[in-house]
Amino acid sequence: MAFEPKEEQKTINYEEARIYSQEELSNYTEEELKNYKIKHDVPDLDDLEKGPWPSFVTDAKREDLHRKKLNDERLLISKNCVEDLLGQLQLSFDHGETHWKHGGIVGVFGYGGGVIGRYSDVQEDFPGVASFHTLRVNQAASKFYDTNYLRTLCDMWEYRGSGLLNMHGSTGDIILLGTTTEQLEPVFHEMTHELQQDLGGSGSNLRTPSCCIGKARCEWSCIDTQDMCYELTQFYQDELHRPMFPYKFKFKFDGCPNGCVASIARSDMSFIGTWKDNIKIDQDKVKAYINGEAQPNAGSHNGRDWGKFDIQKEVIDRCPTGCMSLENGELKIDNENCNRCMHCINVMPQALRPGDDKGVTILFGAKAPILEGAQMSVMTIPFMKAEPPYDNIKDVIENVWDWWMEEGKNRERLGELIQRKTLQEFLKVVGVPAAPQMVTAPRANPYIFWKEEDVPGGFERDVEDYRSRHKR
Amino acid sequence: MSTEDYKQVILDHATNSKKTKLYFSDLKKAVQKQYPDAKTRMVKQAATELINDGTMIYYSTGSTTMYGLKGRGITEDQ
Ligand code: SF4
Ligand code: SF4
Repeated sequence: MAFEPKEEQKTINYEEARIYSQEELSNYTEEELKNYKIKHDVPDLDDLEKGPWPSFVTDAKREDLHRKKLNDERLLISKNCVEDLLGQLQLSFDHGETHWKHGGIVGVFGYGGGVIGRYSDVQEDFPGVASFHTLRVNQAASKFYDTNYLRTLCDMWEYRGSGLLNMHGSTGDIILLGTTTEQLEPVFHEMTHELQQDLGGSGSNLRTPSCCIGKARCEWSCIDTQDMCYELTQFYQDELHRPMFPYKFKFKFDGCPNGCVASIARSDMSFIGTWKDNIKIDQDKVKAYINGEAQPNAGSHNGRDWGKFDIQKEVIDRCPTGCMSLENGELKIDNENCNRCMHCINVMPQALRPGDDKGVTILFGAKAPILEGAQMSVMTIPFMKAEPPYDNIKDVIENVWDWWMEEGKNRERLGELIQRKTLQEFLKVVGVPAAPQMVTAPRANPYIFWKEEDVPGGFERDVEDYRSRHKR
Repeated sequence: MSTEDYKQVILDHATNSKKTKLYFSDLKKAVQKQYPDAKTRMVKQAATELINDGTMIYYSTGSTTMYGLKGRGITEDQ
């Protein structure tokens, strides 16, 4: 389906939008960088540069040298901010404590999220980072950008901020790291009006939704993850920018159970593309794999000495539900028992494909380990169609939000509320019957908890009547 | 009951509460105490209007967001 933007899209041309000349952008030599020392002594940070991986410390020093060599009027915030950032980090290592004051009254007008206030509590020593606020920018779906966009963004951030950014934070946003309060509104204006990119969520909001690469490039995508992500981001703008929830709430969209954005581990509501009918089998291609004419996993494990492909060992025995078999050279799948894990399809992509009746599985309640430990989402809605404008899905979302806002305590994630109130209560909210697949542990619990309406005569009993038959 | 009535309750609560920063659910509870039928979305609308006209402000720690009356407690850039 062709992308239909909800507002007219500008073409961004870096040559027209650029702030810095090419000379300014490459204003130092590698030789200078090698000999460059920042003014603070940062032994622990220097140490971090010695490992096998590229280090953020090296990047930051590079940025510091670059800023130092720009003319003063070419930067709107402190020239020394990067250097002071490293200095303060070293001090935090020395003390084993952070020197950031947390939060505060910063933001852009009308938005309750998107800006995280950061103030240094050692401003005299590190004036460059006295105020060093972070902005979260709603990334493009699947994180597709062109270089005109990226260069324009980097120039703008060099000019109005620290020049340091994360591509991307764990929720998905582009994180602009560090600027002063005065620059927040101008950055917001540039982002929304010039780059057509909104701020993302923070605080007790719907957080910036994020999706896998989906149908844009991946043949397994059972749903149009980008379209869903875009539609729900636009539809729930108020929830994204104006907080009303007990705590944060995240949506993530995986096109198939391979789960490239790990929605099952990282979102309160995880959407995973799936199919309802049978896996499609091309028996000739199955034979081609068996005979070594087709490469398992599309050749990605080539070059290691794992011997000849063995369909029994590598596919059939690895099926988590044991629902595959080989009968007279024909591959059979008992689809009723297949849990759509994608393993066999990943190994033999030419022979097996997801079915045609596609939709989403919806899971709820993942979160990071602050209270009660980390939690994965629980499979709750096994299958639902996912087609624009997604009204069926919006109904589910709003029911869940209403329940959470009614019952949730301050700072209680949906997953914690489900635990406190029980999954059984939650299933009533969502309106789906209980299924064995929803039970993680224990799988062999012999106890059944009845609801009063399911018990003939309810829980009340006539004690006198009972005593007439049973002596004390 | 109109948004204006809800706004008044929110303002009274934000002015008189011991705390200077309040969760949205605190505002909702205050409104529902007087108007038990108040819907969450209506309370939200009233709170948003107070933010938009500058009477109230958001206070964010990054993970949670609270509401405060402008001029009460910490209400300016630190
Ligand atoms: S989650 Fe599935 S559809 Fe999405 S990129 Fe990964 S393999 Fe492809
Ligand atoms: S998708 Fe997974 S569960 Fe289904 S048949 Fe293949 S390996 Fe077995």
